[in-house]
Amino acid sequence: VSQPGRPLPVPDDRSREFWAAAAAHSLVLACCARCATFSHPPGAVCPHCGSIDPAFEFLPVDGSGSVRSWTVIRQSFLAGFDTPFVLVDVELSAQPDLRLIGRLVDGPDAPLHLGAPVRVTFEDVAPGVSVPAFVLEPVS
Amino acid sequence: MSGRMPSSNRVAVVGFAQSQVERHAASTLGALAVTTARRAIADAGLGPKDVDGFVTASLFPSAGAHAAVDGVSLVSANWLAAHLGLNPAYAAGFQGFGQLPGAVSLAVNAVVSGAADYVLVHRALHNPKGAYHANPMTEARGEQQWTVPQGYFGPLAMMALTYTEYLERYGAAREAMAAVVVEARKNGSRIPWSYWHTRPISADEYLSQPMVTDPICRLDCDLPVDGVACFVFTSAERARDLPHRPVFVAGYAAGAPIRHRLPLHWPLDDVMDVGMQTARRLWDRSGIGPAEVDLPQVYDGFSPFVYLWMESLSLCPVGEAHRVVLEGGIDSDRRGALPVLSGGGALGNGRMHGVPQMLECYLQLSGRAGERQRPGVSVGVACHSSPHYGGAVVYSAEPF
Repeated sequence: VSQPGRPLPVPDDRSREFWAAAAAHSLVLACCARCATFSHPPGAVCPHCGSIDPAFEFLPVDGSGSVRSWTVIRQSFLAGFDTPFVLVDVELSAQPDLRLIGRLVDGPDAPLHLGAPVRVTFEDVAPGVSVPAFVLEPVS
Repeated sequence: MSGRMPSSNRVAVVGFAQSQVERHAASTLGALAVTTARRAIADAGLGPKDVDGFVTASLFPSAGAHAAVDGVSLVSANWLAAHLGLNPAYAAGFQGFGQLPGAVSLAVNAVVSGAADYVLVHRALHNPKGAYHANPMTEARGEQQWTVPQGYFGPLAMMALTYTEYLERYGAAREAMAAVVVEARKNGSRIPWSYWHTRPISADEYLSQPMVTDPICRLDCDLPVDGVACFVFTSAERARDLPHRPVFVAGYAAGAPIRHRLPLHWPLDDVMDVGMQTARRLWDRSGIGPAEVDLPQVYDGFSPFVYLWMESLSLCPVGEAHRVVLEGGIDSDRRGALPVLSGGGALGNGRMHGVPQMLECYLQLSGRAGERQRPGVSVGVACHSSPHYGGAVVYSAEPF
């Protein structure tokens, strides 16, 4: 799925563990050590308990979720993306209202509806750099 | 605080000027701002030296890689005052969303507090050469690292997610949005300074547009332009001595998202939950209820905002705006309809960021709308930005 030229994330103190895990195709998210609640993206203050020292731990989360919305990008303002492609707004099952936005690798013709089940996958975009994306769960 | 603002109806708009709205103006944005400011000050029956307060929100709303240069791509309050040769007692810029209601709130506060007697509020918008939002970044740092590597970037994708949610949840049809865009362009086509003057469109033209960012097509987006608008504010007392009928600021309100989100992530529930809070705050502070508003002017920088503001302001039930629109409920030429885009909005004028809404309230309530004058209008609401990030101002023809 490699698309050379896509903008690459620049890990920093708040995101290093997230991107390191992504490179190994594992989804980890920041969990506040004070209130044991995930927040994404992690910030200076825990949005749940207000701690200014959330001491975030990056814990693996179940990568399943449901589609809350979507769009098809037919003209990208960013370089490196082949169009069209689909973006989905996903509520992860790990915690209510915990959201990730990513590409749906099934492509623009995939049938979508609110609540459609998806699970996380990863796109390898450069050596050592992978980006979370989603794939539709097969209809059971 | 709660209840009616002590400043309600104590400050008024007493003059205005609006430049021609063009794709690319012949002069620099700064020069256009100076010219427009001089016209507005004269329109208010004042001289430049009378103006002792300058307020704006100077944001250059491009996601592209263009430089933001004062006097060229944006115009700050300080820049404008300096280039009018003035040393004002008060100059301020509003930071954040809902730029125009935010700037109006600063102007009202400055007049009521006595920080300034006559405040010029301006808004200057620039359309740079080249693609407006295109950004050649190869690295995504800071907040952008969470969304840009996935290809989620810019306001179209942001709005598209919110709009998909609306369409799916309420079963709205694209034909309804055609009615919104046709209405905006119809009204804009009647406004001499509008970029779209004499250029209405048909529903078929809208419906035949290709998608850019599903379900958003080009005609759902306002067009980037060069344009400047200025308004002069002063106290209700001083307004009595000036040539035009004053239009009073009955109240204003703004809001801010309460949920922690990814950059540019605007779930429908976030928009509406905070939008309803902002509307309650607006009615409470202005002493006006939605049923008393005869000139609601909703923001439409992206067409879906029309539904979101109509519903936030309780002009119709939540989830019903698309039906109201489809049944002709916002047709400004129809008796009994809600003329929510009578001023043409951003879709009918160009990307003037809340100016068309405010200007329509001023022109109609001061009786200066000329051939477009609507009879018997008394209370207007001018909205800007998203209901959950932006704000709104209630204007009144009488100081009730």
